Amino acid sequence: MGSILRRFIGDPSVLKPYVAVILDSFHAAFASRILWIAFLAIWLLLACLSPIGFREDFTTSFRIRDFENGTRFKAMLAGALVDPAQKDSPVARIANATPDDLKRQLERVGHGDEVRIQLQLLADALNELLDRDDWYDEEAWKGTTRLRELRELEARDKDELSKSEQQRLARLRIEAVVPGVFKSRSSRSILLTYAGMDFPATFAIDKTQFRTLINQWVVPTIINWLLGFIVIFLGILVTASIVPDMLEPGSLHLLLSKPVSRTLLLLAKFVGGCVFVLLCVTQLVVGLWLIAGLRLDVWNARMLWCIPVCVFLFAVFYSVSVVAGLRWRSPILAIGLTCMFGAVCLVVGVIGGLFDGLVTGPAKIRDLAISGETLMGSTSGGGLVRFDESANRWVDVFETDAFSGDRVLAPVSLPNGEFLAAQVRGGRFNPFGSGSLDLVLLSQGNNWEPVPTLRLPTATIGIETVASDRLMAINASGLALTTIAEVRRSAGESVDDESSEDSGDDLPGWIAKLSGMMGGVTSGFQSILPSGVSFAPPRRVAIAKDGSTIFVASSGRFYRLAPNANSTESTWTIEKEIELEGEASEAVVLAVNSADVLVARAKEPLRIFDASTLELRATIAIDTGLVPVRAVSLGDRSGAFALLSGDARCRIVSSANSGALSLPTGPTEVETIKFDSESQHLVVVHHVDRLEEFDLGDQSFTTLGKSLRTIRPSLSKWRLVDHYAINPLRMIIPQTGELGETVAAIVSGESTASIDQGGVGDEPQIIRYRILRPVLSCAGFIVVMLTIGCVYFSTRDF
Amino acid sequence: MIVDVQELRKTYRHWTRQQAREVRALRGVSLQAHAGEVFGLLGPNGAGKTTLIKTLLGVVRPSSGTATLFGKPAGSSAASMRVGYLPESLRIDRHHTARSALRFYGRMSGMPESAISRRSDELLQLVGLVGRDRESVKRFSKGMYQRLGLAQALMHDPDLLVLDEPTDGLDPVGRSQVRQVLEYLRDQGKTIFLNSHILQEVELVCSRVAILAAGEIRGIGTIGELAKLHGEAKTVLQLIPSESNVSIESLSNTLSQRLNTDPSLIRFEEQGESLRLELGTHNQSSVDRTIDVVREARYSIVSLSVIRPSLEQTFLKLVESPSPMSAESEHAPNGKWEASSAGSSETPAC
Repeated sequence: MGSILRRFIGDPSVLKPYVAVILDSFHAAFASRILWIAFLAIWLLLACLSPIGFREDFTTSFRIRDFENGTRFKAMLAGALVDPAQKDSPVARIANATPDDLKRQLERVGHGDEVRIQLQLLADALNELLDRDDWYDEEAWKGTTRLRELRELEARDKDELSKSEQQRLARLRIEAVVPGVFKSRSSRSILLTYAGMDFPATFAIDKTQFRTLINQWVVPTIINWLLGFIVIFLGILVTASIVPDMLEPGSLHLLLSKPVSRTLLLLAKFVGGCVFVLLCVTQLVVGLWLIAGLRLDVWNARMLWCIPVCVFLFAVFYSVSVVAGLRWRSPILAIGLTCMFGAVCLVVGVIGGLFDGLVTGPAKIRDLAISGETLMGSTSGGGLVRFDESANRWVDVFETDAFSGDRVLAPVSLPNGEFLAAQVRGGRFNPFGSGSLDLVLLSQGNNWEPVPTLRLPTATIGIETVASDRLMAINASGLALTTIAEVRRSAGESVDDESSEDSGDDLPGWIAKLSGMMGGVTSGFQSILPSGVSFAPPRRVAIAKDGSTIFVASSGRFYRLAPNANSTESTWTIEKEIELEGEASEAVVLAVNSADVLVARAKEPLRIFDASTLELRATIAIDTGLVPVRAVSLGDRSGAFALLSGDARCRIVSSANSGALSLPTGPTEVETIKFDSESQHLVVVHHVDRLEEFDLGDQSFTTLGKSLRTIRPSLSKWRLVDHYAINPLRMIIPQTGELGETVAAIVSGESTASIDQGGVGDEPQIIRYRILRPVLSCAGFIVVMLTIGCVYFSTRDF
Repeated sequence: MIVDVQELRKTYRHWTRQQAREVRALRGVSLQAHAGEVFGLLGPNGAGKTTLIKTLLGVVRPSSGTATLFGKPAGSSAASMRVGYLPESLRIDRHHTARSALRFYGRMSGMPESAISRRSDELLQLVGLVGRDRESVKRFSKGMYQRLGLAQALMHDPDLLVLDEPTDGLDPVGRSQVRQVLEYLRDQGKTIFLNSHILQEVELVCSRVAILAAGEIRGIGTIGELAKLHGEAKTVLQLIPSESNVSIESLSNTLSQRLNTDPSLIRFEEQGESLRLELGTHNQSSVDRTIDVVREARYSIVSLSVIRPSLEQTFLKLVESPSPMSAESEHAPNGKWEASSAGSSETPAC
């Protein structure tokens, strides 16, 4: 083959025989009836899909998935019904307008009965209100926080508004009075149609999200199942006879008598064998691309990359078929072995997926807290772990369990080597969880046994320390503050459920219960969120180091809060408020130092605001495919930030001058980052639970430099199996199933996908596509199989 | 020299569950074919003919010895460029027509498109497939298929044509058509290496022949040279003693004296009223003198014929010559039966 290549450089016509073999494969494919049957099936499928279309309308109807906190809504309606003080409140007007049946149930809730009300019932009741306006009263709504869209609609003459706009207006008015109940939804919804008829379900997403849905989910799913399975299986059936037929003496001897290299002849036959799949896939993908473009207005040329990816996937299986055909010269055996190989790939993929889901995934450190030499982390599997330096391993405080529905709040450190955390039983998919939500104090003196202290407000999604002497609880509806001293004082005290349910001892029990359901503050906490702040998702809170300021990003608005000058008033005041440009429903990442606030959202440039005035100081361009996941300040001395993005890499954002973003630096596969303000070191957790510690010192902030300390914890039994058996197996056996992720990445142009976690927590779940691993493992496998085939074919007498 | 084979040996090794087995398909074969010759390779089934041809084409690598075509190693690109090959059981993919098959094999030989088109027309004319050239080969008869095979072998105008059983399985008409093409090519000065077990075909078209048996060359030379291995040609006269009173003994003595030859080479046989005279030579002066003596003795000559030994007789004699290991026979790896025999039977000198 070497001589052929050398000759090719001088005279490209040397490759003519091999091109002839490939062209002949096209000839053979077009002569195949199976190809035409496959074409017919593809054309029928495309014909069936072509009437699909869409139309855009305002997001009006309420659906179950719109609720972020249904219990809070129930409690708010119930409270408004039974509390005489709220008689003329907007919530009471809404509650009174609901159907009688529902109203009776809400009244029972208000009187302390345990009544379960289906979310669908609440949604239906609200949807009925959309076509009426008898429940609306301008005076009553004056005190509500109105977003720009609501203000604009209200400013218009009612007669000018279309029916959809009127319903939209009604929905916005309802959302305005019950903050923290609904998820942030785009104002426009996509409605799919088929041959001009509406589909029964609407998507409460805007067109950009619709494009993302098509590119990241629909197309990869079609590619995986239709192309990745059916077409490839069909291709194997059709092409399995190519090599055995070539080896027939009357055919092979004639071919080998020509001035050709055996290796290149086999490779040309291999490429030619891929022609069948190429022709089918090209028709299907081009057809889908045209339908997506013409009917759904999703013109995405990257979709066409599915053609080579699918042919590549087929090549993996075909390489097995070729080697089997060479060795046994039987199409049946080649098909059988290829199917067995496919089954092995599937089994290894499933086992690998199980290990990812049950062993590696849950063990990933999601948040880290550092106090002195002690490290405490929460895991993705709902566990709380402490690093035991002497044993060099993470030790469970709360057990990590993939099947557990428990959620652990990110631990926070206290100055003297103690930590605070909380475990929400059954809280992974339900912000309220079950049972009591006690803050726990962890200290070495207590042998790291969790000691319950204060009860956290219902539906608390995070805790943060404020200037090392206070603790803030962030829940679905607000922010609550307590002192560390109060936390310590309560540690170990027995908590009486009845008496400590609420902060107001003078409130009747039923009101206290409703307050709890609504996420009201509990004993020891004080609500600090000003009434003018709509605390709706997506939301994020950042606290200045000295605790004097809190920055809140909530549903597209950005606030700077400070303690009330009147020291008797617990509620903080809004010092500054701005509207963030861009898509309000995108998750936001915040980090603050003494001078600047970094605001990052997906598909938008990084923005640095002046921490005092909230004036935009700098805008830093970032690859739109990078989803910001977390940001931390690197201390006031540097004025820089570390940004963790969806590609699991760390970058440094310099806020100096007009701002700058470094290239990815430090470890790969980063899980989380934490800046230890005490040591001024950045700790990077990567590859599930390994740690690297960096001292940025007076560097130029373009790289993390050399790590000061590396921690590679001992692996548990199952992780040892994963590391030494499953992972090597996944490298040897091509991960064809994972090529779907490569397709999703290529089609969407993004390396991550963001999944809404059902309303719990601030952060959407970021799924990193495994782009390179499947490509490399598949390519390596093809190379190995073809090498075996070429060596066998070149050295054997036929 | 077009084909030069020296001490070529090929041993196939294959493994069964129990042991490794060896089949010696070629055992020191040496032969040469010259430019313009139609060289026939004769041998029974399993003699090693196909292995020899596959070695010449580079399909099989020899265990030892050398094989060169045009002075280049057999199987090298330089040699393959100048060889056209028609395999024994040609298989052309069913999606082809005659013309598309010629285009494919022309491209395989690295021919430019213009030459492929021109040459296809010429060859379709030569093999009589004009008018059927756009038909699928699925509908071709065996004869048409074989003629198409010949055409593809000639596509790149090779200097050496290797034909493996070109008339195998054809009816007499088909054989005749293929033979006509071969004669045409021979007249065109092409060197042809013909592998066949049909003796008449070889006798009709080959200028030189090698007889291969049990992996060894048993004889090589022109048809005449090979025939000599079986004995000289004889002259037979059919006589009637119409007016003669000369006895057979007297006639025999006279002939012996006049021909100055051994009396044992002169045999008489009475066949009823006629007499058969057999001379162990077909030397012209001996025949003339014999006729003179016979006429002087007043015998009438009814007929005169020269009887030569046939190639078949030579072939059978050479092939059936004993070989100590002739009982050994094995499967060849390609599924064909290849008989092999180890032995030291002498290759007759020609």
